[in-house]
Amino acid sequence: MATVLELSTGTNAPLIKLDPSLEEDEQEWRAIYVLARIRARFETDLPTWTSQWSIEQTPAQQMDALVEIFCSGDALTFGHRFKPLNHLGKGIWELKTPDLRFFGWFPHKDCFVGGALDTAFKVKSYNLYAGHAGAVAYFRSQLDLNEPKFVPGDDPSNVVTNFNYP
Amino acid sequence: MSLQISITPKERAAARFVSRVRRAIQKALAEAEIEHGTNQSDIARAIGVNRSVISRELRGHKDLGLSRVAEFAWAMGRRPSINFEKIAPRTEGANKPLNGGGKPPATATSGDPRNALSSPTSATVVT
Repeated sequence: MATVLELSTGTNAPLIKLDPSLEEDEQEWRAIYVLARIRARFETDLPTWTSQWSIEQTPAQQMDALVEIFCSGDALTFGHRFKPLNHLGKGIWELKTPDLRFFGWFPHKDCFVGGALDTAFKVKSYNLYAGHAGAVAYFRSQLDLNEPKFVPGDDPSNVVTNFNYP
Repeated sequence: MSLQISITPKERAAARFVSRVRRAIQKALAEAEIEHGTNQSDIARAIGVNRSVISRELRGHKDLGLSRVAEFAWAMGRRPSINFEKIAPRTEGANKPLNGGGKPPATATSGDPRNALSSPTSATVVT
C-alpha cells in the first residue's frame, strides 16, 4: 500500500502528476494526477481533437484552462449553474469542459486522479458514462493505494474546497 | 515525473484569458441574482436574444464577442474593464518552469513570453 505521492515517484510509476503551469502569482491548492495508462491520451490524442461546438478554444486549451482553475483553488462554479464537476456514483467523478469529459476519483480532498479522458461528443453519442466510470473504478481497485482509496459522498464540497461562489 | 498539456504559450494565454472573461461574467451574474434576483432570462430579454443563446455563451458552447461581453455587463448594470498588466519576471518559487519553459510544443519558439515582446503584458478582465 502506498500514498499518491509514492505512486507517482520513479520511472515506471503508475501515477503521473499533471503540471498545471500556474501563473507566477498563483498557488497550487489542488492537484491532479493521471493514471500512466492514459498518458498517450494527453500527449497524442488531446492535441488532435477539435471542438464539436466550433468554438475558438480547442479541447487542449479547454483542458489547460480547467486545470488552471482547478489547481489554483479558484471557485469551480458560480451559483451551481455551470458545474464542471459531476458525481457519477461509487466515488467516480467527471471534470467537464464543453468538449471533454475527464473521469477519475478523489483519494483525498482536493486531489483528483484521472483514469479516463474522452470527448464529450463520443461519450454522449455512445453513452459511455457507465463504461468509463466502471473502467476507472476497476483501475482504482487495482492500484496499490492506501485505504480508503477514495473520498465518499456525492456533494462536490465533499471532495473539493471552494466549490461554489458565493 | 509530471505531464503538461501540450499547447503553445500563446495558446495557453488565449485559453486562460477566454476562460477568465467567461468566469467573470458568470460570477457577476451569480452576484446579480443574489442582489437583485436577476437571471439569464432577464439578461436575454435586456439584450434582445433568446435565453438559449445566453446559456450557450455562458457554458462555453458558443464564443463570446467583445460586444456581447459589454452587453452582459450593461444588462447587469456594470461596466467591463480590461487591463494589460506587465508580467513580472519569474523567479525561483514563482512557478518558474524547472526546464525553462516546460515541454516545448513543436510550434513554440519559447515557453517564456518575455522572448515574444520586450515588455510582456498579461490581460486581465474585471466585470
